[in-house]
Amino acid sequence: MNRKMRGRGMASSWYGIARTATIDRAGAWAELDDGGTAKIVTGVTEIGEGILTVLAQVAAEELGVRPEDVTIGDNDTSRSPEAAHAGATRQTYMIGNSVALASRDARAKLFAEIADHWDVPVDSLRAFNGELWAQDTNLCMSMDEAVKTCKGRGVVPVGSASFTAHGTGLDPVDGSGSPWQAYVFGTQIAEVEVDTWTGEVQVLGIWAAHDVGRAINPRGVEGQIEGGVVQGLGQALMEDYQTEKGYTTTHGFAKYILPTSLDIPQINCTIVEDPDPLSPLQAKGIGEPALVPTAPAIMNAIYDAIGVRIKSLPATPEKILDALRNHVPGRELIAQSARQDRAEAHRKGL
Amino acid sequence: MPKLDLTMDVNGRKVTKQTDPHKRLLDFLREDLNLTGTKEGCGAGECGTCSVFVDGKLVKSCLMPAAKADGAKIETIEGLARPGSLTPVQQAFHKTGASQCGYCIPGMVMAATSALRENPDAGIEEIKERLGGNICRCTGYTKIFEAVEIARDVIAGRLPETALDEDATGDSFIGANVRRLDAPSKVSGRLKYASDMKMVDMLQMQALRAPMPHARIVSIDTSEAEAMDGVACVITAEDVPGEDGFGVFVHDQPVMARGKVRHFGEAVAAVAAEDLVTARRALAKIKVEYEELPGIYAPEDALKPGAPVIHDYAPDNVVKHIPIRKGNPEKGFAEADLILEDEFRTQQVEHAYLEPEAGIAYVDHDDVVTVLSPSQNITHHRHMLAHILDLPINKVRFIMSPVGGGFGGKEDMIYQGMLALAAMKTHRPVQLNFTREESLVASAKRHPSRVKYKMGLKWSGEITAIEFDMLSDGGAYGMSSEGVMRKAAILSCGPYEVHNLKVDTKVVYTNNTPSGAFRTFGGMQAQFATESMMDMAAEALDMDPFELRRINMMRIGSRTHTQQELTTASLDRVLDAAEKASRWDKGAPKVRGAQRHDLGGPDTRKPCTLGARIGDPTDTPTKDERVAS
Repeated sequence: MNRKMRGRGMASSWYGIARTATIDRAGAWAELDDGGTAKIVTGVTEIGEGILTVLAQVAAEELGVRPEDVTIGDNDTSRSPEAAHAGATRQTYMIGNSVALASRDARAKLFAEIADHWDVPVDSLRAFNGELWAQDTNLCMSMDEAVKTCKGRGVVPVGSASFTAHGTGLDPVDGSGSPWQAYVFGTQIAEVEVDTWTGEVQVLGIWAAHDVGRAINPRGVEGQIEGGVVQGLGQALMEDYQTEKGYTTTHGFAKYILPTSLDIPQINCTIVEDPDPLSPLQAKGIGEPALVPTAPAIMNAIYDAIGVRIKSLPATPEKILDALRNHVPGRELIAQSARQDRAEAHRKGL
Repeated sequence: MPKLDLTMDVNGRKVTKQTDPHKRLLDFLREDLNLTGTKEGCGAGECGTCSVFVDGKLVKSCLMPAAKADGAKIETIEGLARPGSLTPVQQAFHKTGASQCGYCIPGMVMAATSALRENPDAGIEEIKERLGGNICRCTGYTKIFEAVEIARDVIAGRLPETALDEDATGDSFIGANVRRLDAPSKVSGRLKYASDMKMVDMLQMQALRAPMPHARIVSIDTSEAEAMDGVACVITAEDVPGEDGFGVFVHDQPVMARGKVRHFGEAVAAVAAEDLVTARRALAKIKVEYEELPGIYAPEDALKPGAPVIHDYAPDNVVKHIPIRKGNPEKGFAEADLILEDEFRTQQVEHAYLEPEAGIAYVDHDDVVTVLSPSQNITHHRHMLAHILDLPINKVRFIMSPVGGGFGGKEDMIYQGMLALAAMKTHRPVQLNFTREESLVASAKRHPSRVKYKMGLKWSGEITAIEFDMLSDGGAYGMSSEGVMRKAAILSCGPYEVHNLKVDTKVVYTNNTPSGAFRTFGGMQAQFATESMMDMAAEALDMDPFELRRINMMRIGSRTHTQQELTTASLDRVLDAAEKASRWDKGAPKVRGAQRHDLGGPDTRKPCTLGARIGDPTDTPTKDERVAS
């Protein structure tokens, strides 16, 4: 038997978008501002996932400006509308749709004035990337001019919106209910190499396919998948917060081991876009679901490599060696072979 | 102690300053020079967020006494590029989306800069090794590696400078790889997190933490601490004017221990003082008399008759039990050709965001109690704090400062109440910055779980019934436990249509570190068990694991475990995509690693042997390995 054994495993997963088993809501304000810029105000945004950029893309698309023209005011309970919390894979879905609807509201105010100004039907107006035009005409102006024109007619183009996701509570006896209106699905494959002498597992490749609904920023989606996979890998192989009769024994990063650059597999992402039919953006989410299938895929891969099934996380080298050495039903030969190989190597002075 | 006179060259300017002798280089840069781009993540040289150059060498500034840097040439993140411009490394980080929360990024940019200065032709394996002392919790490192390779090739002239430009946008901004708008401030260290901010006349807070996991508080004497020079106030549970309790679902946690402590590291009292050193010294003067109580340290023990009671409102120690019932499991198991039973466990996991908890509270000109902190739920925190302070809701204001990683760990209001009380008592701004050790012992963790699983299947692969029983350790306080159990139950049996099932998830109080919200909110623990069972079933049925999943997967019209009819379902396409992308070699999962034909492809990395790559001639960028622009 080889010292280093490789194998592959897969796992699937599902997840719900936004708050669980309850109605979820988020509010936003929008304003088309001087110079063809825009202001968006909402109660909760960035915790690192990239939602600020997503919101700027959404507002720019809906308002006809560019993402860099969008200023976002946020995260203040006294100065911005309620948008609840940053979690539950709800940011793109809840805040994104709320900003889209608020932007449409502001755009409608502007379009009504410009349609009247040009004497064209309002539904012939289009705006993108700082330009506004009436279809099938040669009427065109910059968003800067459009805002000036609108304000010259006495109207500040402002809008607001609230977006709702209709989850329902669970029955206390049989748990029946509709906890979410949008679901996502995922599947990951892990390829591992197990060192049968040391018990160390290295994950060499991950293939991660996730339905995210419409992907607003594909690179950002990849970033979420890669981060989720690595947190899943940490939980699978090394992270373990421990207490001894209530006293913490892992009180620093010397004891609480985290994945670093040398632990990272090549992560191959495939984004599957199954659009959400119940929301204007048709996006869903990816923050949490990316992590779910990683640990079981790695455990299934370890089994494929060495016939050891780890049912208690994390799969530390100690656990792997213990399982290889001690009475794994049907797998004694692998353990025996590893011992012989190592003894042989020692004899040769390797 | 006498002051120290230090002279250094910092980012090309001569700096002469008098400072305190206890300071580390990190403190000197952040506190005395306001160079807050250099972050403190652990204070122990383990995370790399405080990396700077000292005489050209990459150094963790938390490990170097400021005195030792006297006379040295220091380069920090602020000095890499002129204001308004970015180095190629920083531009590449911006381009690839290598910054997420951004807290580790100044240190990571320093390490990447060092790697390319040390070896401009470093290959990817060497780059990885040179970044090995820097932890990132958000990105999974992949976009960082990509950025460093692009920067290397641009610097060496192998790629044009346009390789650093943003991707072009087509006819829509939706679906476009628009660069992160917040990245320039993160890669240059300009973004101010709560611990980077200073206010005029600001006090520093420190918390006294419980030295044991379960004890009655007999008495607290703060008089000696309060009498100390430089101490502005000492607060305890006695200072709470309103209803003292917070939590995401049940408000069972006091701002500071009230009557008893329920876990090691719980806050018991807090001091606000003119400076950090005085605040720490004052903690030692607070006298607390404890009477130790028998504790519960395993969830199974919490359910035993006669177990100690941790919260009076829950004499059975149960925080929440969520049942789900569908069909007739007894009948389903009777119809099964194969029944598998097993047990799975997951551990307690720390969020390990690189930014430890931090915050500032002040009372503004309108008597609004304002708390600025990286809270993930300012809406709910405002509600709870208004009750705790007995104030109208518009007299409490929460501002969410830039969050240096959250993952659910910053949803609990574990320190904002203390800050608000001290600000109200002193009418001065008060700041509290956790140490890494405090963050580890006081913040919630991922729920550890034990799942007992029973699955019945037909030889055809169809699942006929599942019994799923999860017991979780909620630790000392409720926090998000109820919601975590609900989500675990709803998602329990995975993305498969199971007609007969009985699911129970239960979480109990113990005297361990509390468990709370953590990315997946119970979904990971539950589906680890299900997906392990699915592969064990596939082996027993001699069936490819993709096929077993396809046979049982939810489709449009399927009824979920909670009997919701699905109007969309994409698992079929997701399975196809994953199988194709991975070039999956079909077969039953019967330890066939050695026989597989799909291993070691170009879409995998090389296994790692520590130290083997630096100077390895095969690990240099070749024409074929160049990063495409």
